[in-house]
Amino acid sequence: MLAVGLYGVALVLAGVLELVARREDSQVPTVGEVCGFVMTYRVGPIPVGRIAVFGFWWWVGWHFFAR
Amino acid sequence: MDRPPELTASADPTWARPAVLVPVFVLISSVAGALPSFSLSANLLVLGTGGVLFWFGLAHPPRRRPPLRLPAGAVWWVVPVVIFVLVELTTFLLGSRPSTPTFSLLADPVLERYLPRSALFLGWLAAFWGLVRR
Repeated sequence: MLAVGLYGVALVLAGVLELVARREDSQVPTVGEVCGFVMTYRVGPIPVGRIAVFGFWWWVGWHFFAR
Repeated sequence: MDRPPELTASADPTWARPAVLVPVFVLISSVAGALPSFSLSANLLVLGTGGVLFWFGLAHPPRRRPPLRLPAGAVWWVVPVVIFVLVELTTFLLGSRPSTPTFSLLADPVLERYLPRSALFLGWLAAFWGLVRR
Protein backbone atom coordinates (compact mmCIF):
# COMPACT_ATOMS: atom_id res chain seq x y z
CA MET A 1 0.00 0.00 0.00
CA LEU A 2 3.08 2.19 -0.24
CA ALA A 3 2.09 2.98 -3.82
CA VAL A 4 -1.39 4.12 -2.75
CA GLY A 5 0.16 6.38 -0.12
CA LEU A 6 2.58 7.89 -2.61
CA TYR A 7 -0.22 8.53 -5.11
CA GLY A 8 -2.06 10.27 -2.30
CA VAL A 9 1.00 12.36 -1.43
CA ALA A 10 1.37 13.45 -5.06
CA LEU A 11 -2.30 14.40 -5.37
CA VAL A 12 -2.38 16.24 -2.04
CA LEU A 13 0.81 18.10 -2.94
CA ALA A 14 -0.70 19.14 -6.26
CA GLY A 15 -3.83 20.37 -4.48
CA VAL A 16 -1.79 22.36 -1.95
CA LEU A 17 0.30 23.90 -4.75
CA GLU A 18 -2.85 24.93 -6.62
CA LEU A 19 -4.21 26.59 -3.46
CA VAL A 20 -0.90 28.38 -2.87
CA ALA A 21 -0.82 29.49 -6.51
CA ARG A 22 -4.24 31.10 -6.20
CA ARG A 23 -3.12 33.43 -3.43
CA GLU A 24 -2.50 37.01 -4.45
CA ASP A 25 1.10 37.74 -5.57
CA SER A 26 1.97 34.07 -5.38
CA GLN A 27 5.28 33.06 -6.94
CA VAL A 28 3.81 29.67 -7.80
CA PRO A 29 1.78 29.53 -11.03
CA THR A 30 -1.54 27.67 -11.20
CA VAL A 31 -1.65 24.45 -13.17
CA GLY A 32 -3.66 26.33 -15.79
CA GLU A 33 -0.92 28.93 -16.15
CA VAL A 34 1.69 26.22 -16.51
CA CYS A 35 -0.42 24.56 -19.22
CA GLY A 36 -0.93 27.94 -20.90
CA PHE A 37 2.81 28.51 -20.93
CA VAL A 38 3.55 25.04 -22.32
CA MET A 39 0.95 25.60 -25.02
CA THR A 40 2.82 28.64 -26.34
CA TYR A 41 5.60 26.41 -27.68
CA ARG A 42 5.65 26.37 -31.47
CA VAL A 43 7.97 24.95 -34.08
CA GLY A 44 7.55 27.31 -36.99
CA PRO A 45 3.83 27.46 -37.78
CA ILE A 46 3.05 24.25 -35.87
CA PRO A 47 1.55 24.75 -32.38
CA VAL A 48 3.45 21.84 -30.88
CA GLY A 49 2.63 22.80 -27.30
CA ARG A 50 -1.13 22.91 -27.92
CA ILE A 51 -1.04 19.64 -29.85
CA ALA A 52 0.94 17.95 -27.06
CA VAL A 53 -1.30 19.18 -24.21
CA PHE A 54 -4.57 18.45 -26.05
CA GLY A 55 -3.21 15.10 -27.19
CA PHE A 56 -2.20 14.14 -23.68
CA TRP A 57 -5.59 15.08 -22.24
CA TRP A 58 -7.40 13.27 -25.06
CA TRP A 59 -5.34 10.16 -24.31
CA VAL A 60 -6.17 10.43 -20.56
CA GLY A 61 -9.88 10.37 -21.40
CA TRP A 62 -9.49 7.47 -23.79
CA HIS A 63 -7.39 5.50 -21.29
CA PHE A 64 -9.80 5.87 -18.37
CA PHE A 65 -13.19 5.91 -20.12
CA ALA A 66 -12.71 3.76 -23.20
CA ARG A 67 -9.97 1.24 -22.35
CA MET B 1 3.64 36.61 -11.92
CA ASP B 2 2.88 38.57 -15.09
CA ARG B 3 -0.73 38.17 -16.04
CA PRO B 4 -1.32 40.05 -19.30
CA PRO B 5 -4.82 41.35 -20.00
CA GLU B 6 -7.28 39.09 -21.71
CA LEU B 7 -7.78 39.26 -25.43
CA THR B 8 -11.16 40.40 -26.64
CA ALA B 9 -10.63 39.98 -30.37
CA SER B 10 -12.15 36.53 -30.72
CA ALA B 11 -15.69 35.98 -29.51
CA ASP B 12 -16.94 32.45 -28.92
CA PRO B 13 -19.47 31.15 -31.42
CA THR B 14 -23.02 30.88 -30.08
CA TRP B 15 -22.79 27.15 -29.49
CA ALA B 16 -19.60 27.59 -27.45
CA ARG B 17 -21.24 29.67 -24.71
CA PRO B 18 -21.72 28.19 -21.23
CA ALA B 19 -25.53 28.25 -21.52
CA VAL B 20 -25.20 25.81 -24.42
CA LEU B 21 -22.08 23.90 -23.47
CA VAL B 22 -22.93 23.03 -19.86
CA PRO B 23 -26.16 21.15 -20.69
CA VAL B 24 -24.46 19.48 -23.67
CA PHE B 25 -21.51 18.37 -21.53
CA VAL B 26 -23.89 17.07 -18.83
CA LEU B 27 -25.87 15.16 -21.45
CA ILE B 28 -22.76 13.63 -23.01
CA SER B 29 -21.42 12.69 -19.57
CA SER B 30 -24.70 11.07 -18.58
CA VAL B 31 -24.42 8.87 -21.67
CA ALA B 32 -20.70 8.22 -21.15
CA GLY B 33 -21.33 6.99 -17.62
CA ALA B 34 -23.44 4.15 -18.98
CA LEU B 35 -20.91 2.97 -21.57
CA PRO B 36 -18.61 0.20 -20.36
CA SER B 37 -14.88 0.28 -20.98
CA PHE B 38 -13.60 -1.58 -24.03
CA SER B 39 -16.92 -1.06 -25.83
CA LEU B 40 -17.03 0.39 -29.33
CA SER B 41 -19.53 3.04 -28.22
CA ALA B 42 -17.26 4.24 -25.38
CA ASN B 43 -14.34 4.48 -27.81
CA LEU B 44 -16.39 6.39 -30.35
CA LEU B 45 -17.73 8.81 -27.72
CA VAL B 46 -14.32 9.62 -26.26
CA LEU B 47 -12.63 9.85 -29.66
CA GLY B 48 -15.50 11.94 -31.05
CA THR B 49 -15.83 14.45 -28.23
CA GLY B 50 -12.06 14.65 -27.79
CA GLY B 51 -11.62 15.10 -31.51
CA VAL B 52 -14.09 17.97 -31.66
CA LEU B 53 -12.43 19.72 -28.71
CA PHE B 54 -8.97 19.06 -30.15
CA TRP B 55 -10.01 20.58 -33.49
CA PHE B 56 -11.68 23.56 -31.81
CA GLY B 57 -8.61 24.26 -29.72
CA LEU B 58 -6.35 24.33 -32.76
CA ALA B 59 -8.76 26.14 -35.07
CA HIS B 60 -9.63 28.98 -32.70
CA PRO B 61 -7.10 31.31 -31.08
CA PRO B 62 -6.91 31.32 -27.29
CA ARG B 63 -9.04 33.81 -25.40
CA ARG B 64 -6.29 35.07 -23.15
CA ARG B 65 -2.62 35.74 -23.58
CA PRO B 66 -0.49 33.01 -22.00
CA PRO B 67 2.13 34.00 -19.43
CA LEU B 68 5.31 35.19 -21.14
CA ARG B 69 7.43 33.37 -18.57
CA LEU B 70 6.86 31.33 -15.45
CA PRO B 71 8.01 32.45 -12.01
CA ALA B 72 10.70 30.50 -10.18
CA GLY B 73 8.03 28.86 -8.02
CA ALA B 74 6.92 26.84 -11.04
CA VAL B 75 9.63 24.35 -10.20
CA TRP B 76 7.51 23.17 -7.24
CA TRP B 77 5.16 21.50 -9.73
CA VAL B 78 7.96 19.11 -10.60
CA VAL B 79 7.71 17.48 -7.15
CA PRO B 80 4.19 15.95 -7.37
CA VAL B 81 4.66 15.15 -11.05
CA VAL B 82 7.93 13.28 -10.43
CA ILE B 83 6.46 11.38 -7.46
CA PHE B 84 3.41 10.38 -9.52
CA VAL B 85 5.41 9.36 -12.59
CA LEU B 86 7.96 7.37 -10.57
CA VAL B 87 5.26 5.46 -8.68
CA GLU B 88 3.29 4.86 -11.89
CA LEU B 89 6.38 3.64 -13.72
CA THR B 90 7.47 1.40 -10.85
CA THR B 91 4.05 -0.19 -10.36
CA PHE B 92 3.70 -0.68 -14.10
CA LEU B 93 7.06 -2.44 -14.32
CA LEU B 94 6.10 -4.61 -11.33
CA GLY B 95 3.04 -5.80 -13.21
CA SER B 96 0.26 -3.67 -11.65
CA ARG B 97 -0.91 -6.12 -8.99
CA PRO B 98 -3.18 -5.37 -6.01
CA SER B 99 -0.08 -5.06 -3.82
CA THR B 100 1.57 -2.64 -6.27
CA PRO B 101 -1.30 -1.08 -8.24
CA THR B 102 -0.99 1.43 -11.06
CA PHE B 103 -3.27 4.45 -10.86
CA SER B 104 -5.49 2.87 -13.53
CA LEU B 105 -6.00 -0.25 -11.41
CA LEU B 106 -6.97 1.92 -8.43
CA ALA B 107 -9.42 3.88 -10.57
CA ASP B 108 -11.16 0.83 -12.03
CA PRO B 109 -13.55 0.12 -9.10
CA VAL B 110 -14.58 3.78 -9.04
CA LEU B 111 -15.12 3.97 -12.79
CA GLU B 112 -17.29 0.85 -12.78
CA ARG B 113 -20.10 2.79 -11.12
CA TYR B 114 -22.39 5.05 -13.14
CA LEU B 115 -22.39 8.25 -11.07
CA PRO B 116 -18.64 8.54 -10.45
CA ARG B 117 -17.96 7.59 -14.06
CA SER B 118 -20.36 10.27 -15.33
CA ALA B 119 -19.02 12.89 -12.91
CA LEU B 120 -15.40 12.17 -13.82
CA PHE B 121 -16.23 12.23 -17.52
CA LEU B 122 -17.85 15.63 -16.99
CA GLY B 123 -14.68 16.78 -15.21
CA TRP B 124 -12.57 15.50 -18.10
CA LEU B 125 -14.72 17.39 -20.61
CA ALA B 126 -14.70 20.59 -18.53
CA ALA B 127 -10.92 20.46 -18.12
CA PHE B 128 -10.51 19.82 -21.85
CA TRP B 129 -12.65 22.86 -22.56
CA GLY B 130 -10.59 24.91 -20.10
CA LEU B 131 -7.41 23.93 -21.98
CA VAL B 132 -8.98 24.67 -25.35
CA ARG B 133 -9.95 28.20 -24.33
CA ARG B 134 -6.60 28.97 -22.74
